[in-house]
Amino acid sequence: MSVLREMIGNFFSRPVTIRYPWIKVPIPDTFRGRVANTDELCIGCSKCSLVCPAQVITMIDGPRDVVFKGKTLARKKRPQVDLYKCIRCGLCERHCPTGSIHLEHVHAGTGTDRDVRVT
Amino acid sequence: MPEVVVPIGPHHPALKEPVNFRVIADGEKIVRLELDLSYNHRGIEKAAEQRNFIRVLPLLERVCGICSHSHATAFAKGVEEIMGLEIPPRARYIRTIIAELERMHSHLLWLGVAAHEIGFNTLFMWSWRDREAVQDTLEEMSGNRVHYGMNEIGGVRRDLTPAQIKTALARLPDLEDRIQKYVGMVNSEETMLIRFRGVGKMSREEALKYGAVGPTARASGVDYDVRRDDPYLAYDEIPWKVITDNHGDVYGRTRVRVGELWESTQIVRFCLENIPAGPVRVEAPKNAPEGEILSRYEAPRGELAHYIRTNGTDKVERIDIRSPTLANWTSVAMCLTGQNLADIPVIVAAIDPCLSCTCRMVVVHRRGGRAVPGTAAGESGHDPKSRQDGWRP
Repeated sequence: MSVLREMIGNFFSRPVTIRYPWIKVPIPDTFRGRVANTDELCIGCSKCSLVCPAQVITMIDGPRDVVFKGKTLARKKRPQVDLYKCIRCGLCERHCPTGSIHLEHVHAGTGTDRDVRVT
Repeated sequence: MPEVVVPIGPHHPALKEPVNFRVIADGEKIVRLELDLSYNHRGIEKAAEQRNFIRVLPLLERVCGICSHSHATAFAKGVEEIMGLEIPPRARYIRTIIAELERMHSHLLWLGVAAHEIGFNTLFMWSWRDREAVQDTLEEMSGNRVHYGMNEIGGVRRDLTPAQIKTALARLPDLEDRIQKYVGMVNSEETMLIRFRGVGKMSREEALKYGAVGPTARASGVDYDVRRDDPYLAYDEIPWKVITDNHGDVYGRTRVRVGELWESTQIVRFCLENIPAGPVRVEAPKNAPEGEILSRYEAPRGELAHYIRTNGTDKVERIDIRSPTLANWTSVAMCLTGQNLADIPVIVAAIDPCLSCTCRMVVVHRRGGRAVPGTAAGESGHDPKSRQDGWRP
């Protein structure tokens, strides 16, 4: 009888499913999505590359000046993330000393380009 | 009537993961079951030996897609003990909250799968709908629905904000209400009673003999739960009780799991309401001293064991994972003996098998010295003579 009651109740309730893509599920602020790097903050320390469990962060040439703790530093390297292989674990974000590399609160999206990279 | 071998798998439309059953049947009755596992061997243990303590945790989470927190916590707990680290109380509570939410989503998933196996797809849809509330809470707390990434050696990576605690507490009354309905449904719904009662019966002695763990053992009256008998995290500070049942059949296993669902909601509620303030992690040393430990953890499916050996470096020298499904397979082989062929799906589903978790055992054949995939058939199942020529690499 409990099942019947439940079924009758469901007839008068709103559907649980939503009409995607017109309506989308809200993404929480803590969501671990696509990796991004803020170039102005990155001091090129390579820590993200060293902790990455999937080994998808490589340090590439990127000479630039970065202000760090009030000093202007000439930096040579910047991280490049292979998005297709990234597992969104967030270890790079956790270990970044300046908060430059971070996971955006957006769904990673889909694509056909296996070589898509973020620097 | 002569005995007939019914091969099922390793690739079969009814199987969700690859496993090879050789069901020896006499008419409709099952005489014995032979099992071949390890079609999904991924070499995770060897890969774990190559990574340091920071990088190994995301890998170990991926041993299982359902109990990812279990594996990471079992490992972190073991390494912290070797290092002599005491994690802060707030971290213990956060780990407990995630662990119990994981148990809830695992049991709700199982309830749906079990209902699906008996053709009760209405319940399957309902329980998976309710599981979404748990998954949403986990996603809000950790950033992901499946691989939470909450653990690190020395504590947890993310703290819980007051807003997250408030949202989680607001979701609980609805879930509790739903779970109460399931408790009633399991005990009164004819569809379930007819298909679950008396199916896959296992006595307490048999459960102990065949080494069953978790809800499978507790449904046969084995009063054993690692959370109570070898307390870890915050379980010794929380009022809760171990659910056991004396039916010993699939009905008993369902009752235990649904009862545990309710207990988990109460544990989560207690933890959220009484979470202590303070830091969420302590600084962990880079290297672990030489040592070895067997870290035990009550995963949703049963007792999970991580054997960890360290050698003074920042990596483990050896890690061996014994997942609960591996311990339960022998009891399945025993339970199936004498049952009808049509009961195979529901008896197998009753242990909540996770085949990918299981695939890390290798048995060396004594006669030829060849390494062969592991078998987990019990006395009723394994017959070395019949396997003599059966192996194909």
